Order: sequence, then C-alpha cells, then structure tokens
Amino acid sequence: MSETEDHSDDIALAGEYVLHLLNAADRRAVEARLTTDPVLRRLVRDFETQFAPMAEDIPEVVPPAALKARIEARLFDKPRKERRSIWRWILGGTLAIGVLAGALVMAPRLMDMGAPAPAMTATVAAEDGSLVVAARFIRETGMLDIERQAGGALPGRVLELWLIADGAEAPVSLGVLPPDGTAQITVPAALAGQLSGGLLAISDEPPGGSPTGAPTGAVLAAGPVIDA
Amino acid sequence: MSGIDDIEEMIVQVSLGNRAAFSSLYDATSAKLFGVCLRVLKDRAEAEETLQDVFLRVWQKASLYRANGYSPMTWLITLARNAAIDRLRARKAPAVDIDEVPDLRDAGPTPEAAAIASSERARLDGCLEELEADRSDAVRRAYLDAESYKALAARYDVPLNTVRTWLRRSLLKLRECLTR
Repeated sequence: MSETEDHSDDIALAGEYVLHLLNAADRRAVEARLTTDPVLRRLVRDFETQFAPMAEDIPEVVPPAALKARIEARLFDKPRKERRSIWRWILGGTLAIGVLAGALVMAPRLMDMGAPAPAMTATVAAEDGSLVVAARFIRETGMLDIERQAGGALPGRVLELWLIADGAEAPVSLGVLPPDGTAQITVPAALAGQLSGGLLAISDEPPGGSPTGAPTGAVLAAGPVIDA
Repeated sequence: MSGIDDIEEMIVQVSLGNRAAFSSLYDATSAKLFGVCLRVLKDRAEAEETLQDVFLRVWQKASLYRANGYSPMTWLITLARNAAIDRLRARKAPAVDIDEVPDLRDAGPTPEAAAIASSERARLDGCLEELEADRSDAVRRAYLDAESYKALAARYDVPLNTVRTWLRRSLLKLRECLTR
C-alpha cells in the first residue's frame, strides 16, 4: 500500500499526536482538526490500535481497594457537596458535556413546557461539546422533539439522526435534522418501541442524508436514551 | 481476567447506566490501567488520582465508545495513557529525573509473557525491529514512558531537531510496515 507524498506529513503528525510528542499548541491544533477530518482521525486510531500492544509489557498493579469505593461514591452518591465537585470536574475539563450535563440543561426546559411530559429523553453530544442536541420523545404524539443546543452541520453538509436500538447490529435513520435549531421528527411506531435502552447518534452526511441507509460520514455525537 | 467480548459488553452496559457492569469493568481492567498510569507518572498518589479520573470518564463517555471504532482495551488504555500524560505534562517540574527511574523494559519480557504475546504484538515488534535499534527504543520510550522530544534528545545526546526527524521518519516507516 502506498501513501501519497503530502499524506506523509499527516501520518507523521498523527503518530506524534499519539506519542504525545507535540507541544501544547500543535496538540490542540490536531485535536481541532480531528473533529472534522476523518482521514486524520483514522490515522490516529490506527496508531493507537497498533501501538496499544506495547502496553502488554506493563505489569498489572492492583490499585488500593478504597479507590473503587471513592470512584463509585463520586459517581453514584449525590450529597450536595459531592455533586458540586463532579460538576466542577465535568465543566472544568475538556470533556464531553455529556449525558449528565444534558440532564442539567434540560431540567428547567421541561418545566416551562406546557406540552405532555416526555416518555424518554436523550442528550446527543460530541465528546468535546462542539455539538449538543437534546431529544425528547412524546409518546402521546409519537414525535421526537429535537433541540440543537450547540454546533451544527458543516458547510454543504447535513446532520442525520440515527437510532442504534439495544442489541441491534446496525443503526436506523430517524431522518435528517433541519438547519433550524429545533425540529419534530415522527418516529414510526415500530421504531418507537425500540427507543428505550437504545442509543441516538448523529452523523455528518451529504445533503439529503446518507445515500446508503447507513451512516457514511463521521459519527459526530452520541447519547443513550433515558427513560424519563 | 475477562475475555475481550465481555469487556466490550461491559462498556455497552455502562453506556446504558448499568452500575453493576461498571463495577465488573473496573474489576476486570483497573489493574492494567493503574499499571499504565504508574508507568507514565512514576508516582503512586498521582496515578491513583488519574485512575479515578479515567473511570469517571469511562462512565461518562461509554456512550461514545460504539461510535469510535476502537477495540475495547485500546480505548481504555488510550483513555488512561492520555489522562496520565496530560497530568505528567501539567506538572510544573518533573517530580523525578528520568534517568533515576529504573528501566523496567531492560529486563525484557519473561519467556512466559513472550509466549502469550498477541499476534498484533508480534506484528508491531516485527516492524519495530526493522528500525534502527535506538529509533525503535525511542518509539517505545515515547509510548510507554511518555518521554518528550527534549528528554529523548538528552538521552541520545543529539539535537532536538535530529530526534524529531528520527521519530517522524520512524513513524512513516512503521505506518508503511504495519499496513503492508
């Protein structure tokens, strides 16, 4: 297999990124590119995968027993103080404003809506928070209310929403998200029954949506469907 | 140790908020991931804090796992290694002189460990062997010990730009060999 000449810069760059050899500014630049460049993303994933066997040399060391209890307490016990520190951790880091953050954002919105309460909700979020879409399924109407809270489609591209049902092999398209911030998507009855326990994902697709019935572009965001 | 499919299933279950699966995943993988953090940080207290962050991230990011195309252990090791190296780089000054750290790798794998080495491992080793010895050594030190260009330049007593050129060329050769 031959790689083209100007491709070789990106190969070396992806390797340097995986080995953490870049300075902070260059590392951030690569991270920014990774959100939009599937070729670079694949190079990084390949190096991570190919280098991971080196970790076989690293001896296992059992961490102190108290550590597990501490982690579980931080995640699952919710006294006020602890909760605040988890929020600081989530918001302070460069991590996904993921599922937990989504719940926070949505709570007040649910209260000021006169509409029927949603049976299920999901926050479909990119790892870096660059795309956040809240989804609420209203059983009475069979509609999925969509609200884009951050980010959007790339120029000349669209966002397509997918359901990966629990135990399903392949995602099923729920439709292309319109360019406006909010949308209502009718969920066919057969799919509505599969929402619970499933995963919603958003992929980058050409105008009109995936031509193949399966995601063709990068998966930009994902989030589990939570029973309300 | 659980099989790889079990770990994958545990991650999927964790993404759905299954606490029992999270507990099982921790039991199955925390010793490996703690080893990775310790290897990079060479400091037990810092490695413990990092491991804690890693598992908080696992809980929160598990829903992204199915979309990212990584195998389960690669994903977990990458999370742990990235968290440990981020922490290492954030230190104001190195806690230890790298030359004072005993080199675990010099001892080489035991015959038992070598015998059970995976086929992916054999392929990687084969490709590393095609590089000059100090260059494959530099790749290993960068991956396993998070040695920077600066540290590697000092270790091999060559200018920083030279070591950078070495590494970049080595990465191209490795990519070529590994995708052959």
